[in-house]
Amino acid sequence: MFKTLKSKITVTAIVMLALLLSAFGFLTVISRMKTKQLMVQNYSFSINASFLEEINDKIVSLEDNLKSLALIGSLHYKTSRSDELTDQVIVRIFRNYPGTLGGGIWYKPYIMNKNKKYDCFYAYRNKDNKVVIDKNFSSEEYDYPNQGWYKQIISKVTPKRNIVWSRPYYENQGSYTMMVTAGTGMYVDGELVGIATVDWEISSLIEDISKMKPFERTFSMYKSGREIKNSFALFGNTDDDYIITTTDPYLANKSLVGHSMKEIPWFAENLYGRTYITYHGKKYVPFYRKLRNGMVLVICVPKSAMFWRIDSFYFGMLLIILFFIIAILALMYFGMNKYIIKPIDKLIQIAHKISKGEDVNIKIEKPEEFAQLAATYNKMTQDIKSITKEREHINSELNIAKSIQASTLPSVFPPFPDRDEFDIYALMEPAKEVGGDFYDFYFIDENHFMFLIADVSGKGVPAALFMMTAKTLISNLSQVGYEPKELIQLINRKICETNKQGLFVTMFSGIINVVTGEITYINCGHNPPLIKTNSCEYKYLDGESNIVLGAFDDFDFKIYKSVLNIGDTLCLYTDGVTEATNHNDEMYGEKRLLEKINKFDNDDIKTMAFDIRNDVLKYTEKIERSDDLTLLIFKYRSKHHSVRKTIYKAPASRENYKQFYEWLHGICKDWNISAELTNKLDMCGEEIYANIAFYAYPQTQGDIRVSVQKEDNRIILRFEDDGVPYNPLEKPDPDINLPPEQRPLGGLGIFMVKEMANDIQYEFTNGSNILTLKFNYNME
Amino acid sequence: MEISCKNFGIDGLYVKASGRLDLDSAVEYGVKIKDTMEDAQEDIKELVLDFSQITFISSFGLKVILELYKEMQAKQGSLKLKDIPEQLKSSFKMVGFDKFLDID
Repeated sequence: MFKTLKSKITVTAIVMLALLLSAFGFLTVISRMKTKQLMVQNYSFSINASFLEEINDKIVSLEDNLKSLALIGSLHYKTSRSDELTDQVIVRIFRNYPGTLGGGIWYKPYIMNKNKKYDCFYAYRNKDNKVVIDKNFSSEEYDYPNQGWYKQIISKVTPKRNIVWSRPYYENQGSYTMMVTAGTGMYVDGELVGIATVDWEISSLIEDISKMKPFERTFSMYKSGREIKNSFALFGNTDDDYIITTTDPYLANKSLVGHSMKEIPWFAENLYGRTYITYHGKKYVPFYRKLRNGMVLVICVPKSAMFWRIDSFYFGMLLIILFFIIAILALMYFGMNKYIIKPIDKLIQIAHKISKGEDVNIKIEKPEEFAQLAATYNKMTQDIKSITKEREHINSELNIAKSIQASTLPSVFPPFPDRDEFDIYALMEPAKEVGGDFYDFYFIDENHFMFLIADVSGKGVPAALFMMTAKTLISNLSQVGYEPKELIQLINRKICETNKQGLFVTMFSGIINVVTGEITYINCGHNPPLIKTNSCEYKYLDGESNIVLGAFDDFDFKIYKSVLNIGDTLCLYTDGVTEATNHNDEMYGEKRLLEKINKFDNDDIKTMAFDIRNDVLKYTEKIERSDDLTLLIFKYRSKHHSVRKTIYKAPASRENYKQFYEWLHGICKDWNISAELTNKLDMCGEEIYANIAFYAYPQTQGDIRVSVQKEDNRIILRFEDDGVPYNPLEKPDPDINLPPEQRPLGGLGIFMVKEMANDIQYEFTNGSNILTLKFNYNME
Repeated sequence: MEISCKNFGIDGLYVKASGRLDLDSAVEYGVKIKDTMEDAQEDIKELVLDFSQITFISSFGLKVILELYKEMQAKQGSLKLKDIPEQLKSSFKMVGFDKFLDID
């Protein structure tokens, strides 16, 4: 799957970029986290810095105001100053604390005057922001010591905890605003004489809280000042556990003012120690601040809204990184394609073309390495071309050598048409190279016929040259007339002499007397031939094998003798037959050969030879044979016919007639033919010869071929010429009874021939006039 | 072949030849006799061919004999064959020459 260079580079690049992306991603996550922390800190700080400080300042101012009132109240009790003076002082104090809505001094009942239950001072700011003294609170109706705030405060004050904050309440003297009252005890000589209070109208504060837009008033890393939606706040008092107000949207319908803070679901147990709280499926960042008077303000900001910008920033950053990574990948991919993959593909295609022998010239300019490679390719192509040319030249010479070699083997069958004592057929199917198989046959005298099959060790040109030498040597020595044993020793010695390369020849050879059927044979390390005798099955010919020819020059060869009967057949073959292998590397083998040859029931040895050859070729199929396939089949036909045959062949001309009749007479004398028959042959021969010489070739020169064949009881005289078709037998016979003066001069000859021959046949075959004359003769 | 011609009597010609009377020699044989007859001072009326030394006669030889016979007959002469070897007689008989020639 990842075997190509392209995929490997791609994978490497992807892994590298993935690592890079991971590093970036990690850094991004860390930096995002840090940024968020920083943001939270910033926000938290900004709440402290502005809003909370403001409230705390207000509280401080209220407390100062309260302390001032308490001091005045104590002074008034001690010194028993006039109420008017005290009123004036109170108004002045109030002027110093513009944040105070109202406040007063409330003595315990009857403490100032045993007859007067209510004694108090109260001032407030009217709508014109003018401090006004209100004397109505010391009335019987109001009965301040029975008011909730009074009771609350007086019950809680101690000399140590000198400021007490009341729960928020709605002022019921007309404005119905939400108020919180802070009070402190007035102690004179350690005795509590009353309390001082200041009123804080917190409706505006609550309004501020409910409108809080967390970033609007704070500094921020984002300048937009975007409102964070859905944030809410809780304002309450944890010391006394009550809720002043909340803008929690899920609790908006309930009036929770004054209730326990524990009623806020997210508050108590969830808030502490957490960065985020989850509320109604949404995450919030809580900011918890405690004020100096025990009040707490909690602002919850939705996390998503708070960090939206940061997240989108980092998301954008990731996108940019991704974009760059993809861009880098794409660049790498295209670069790789253009500068690596395409040149390689091109080179591959070119290589295919080169292997097909096409002429190519590659042009690659970039990159440098491929340009060099392309140049090398071009040079290589030229080199290959010149080498190929050279090789083709050698091949064609080898082919010529092969055909020369093949042409030295006898290839015309039947090779001795005038000898019908035997049939012989041989074939060689050469392997691709020039090889070392050969066969040969010839008469070494009139009645002795020699045939052989041989295989030179090795292959190629050396074997072929050695084969030629061996073949020539054997055929030359065979004609000299040595005895078989003497002959083979001589052949071996001569081959040894010419064999400097250590090659050798395996050979099977037989010399048969065609008249008697006696055969002398020798096997020099060759495959034993198959023989079929008396119409039995084929079997191996008896006799041990000798050493190969060309091994030891003084080897004592053993020869065998046997007699062939009519119909006996010898099949000689080389190992190219039995050792031919198929695609499974299995040999054709001797068993298969025996089966094949035994199935054969035809008399025709040529068909048999081709059958075996075809069977072997079919067996090897497309596998290129490494060895020549050679077969020689010899079939002994007759010894009783004692056929003798002689052939005359010469240009047909009158001048050659003398030569012809001398030849004919020679035969008659050799064969002891009677004078009478000789005379007949002479006369007929002359007549037919003259016919051919005078008329067969009117324009041109041509041959006359004559054969004389002696059979048991007759002589067959056969004339052939390639001249104009002419059947002399069609010529009408002359009337020999005519008176001599009326007789024509011509036509006598052919008439005489007809008279003398016992049988006469004319045929025109393959462009040849063939006239066959048969003469019976009595054995004398 | 050797051919010798000898005049005898007033108008006789005796021809003795040896060898084969065949394609090679028959024409020569015929021409020689005719030339001799034409060259003779007297018109030859009696022609005797000695066959004793002739070993072979073919149709070409026979044709020449027939020719000579016809010529002799035309001038009321005679042709005689003398001492024909036994093996040649059958040839003469075969072509029916025995009917007008004395073979024996």
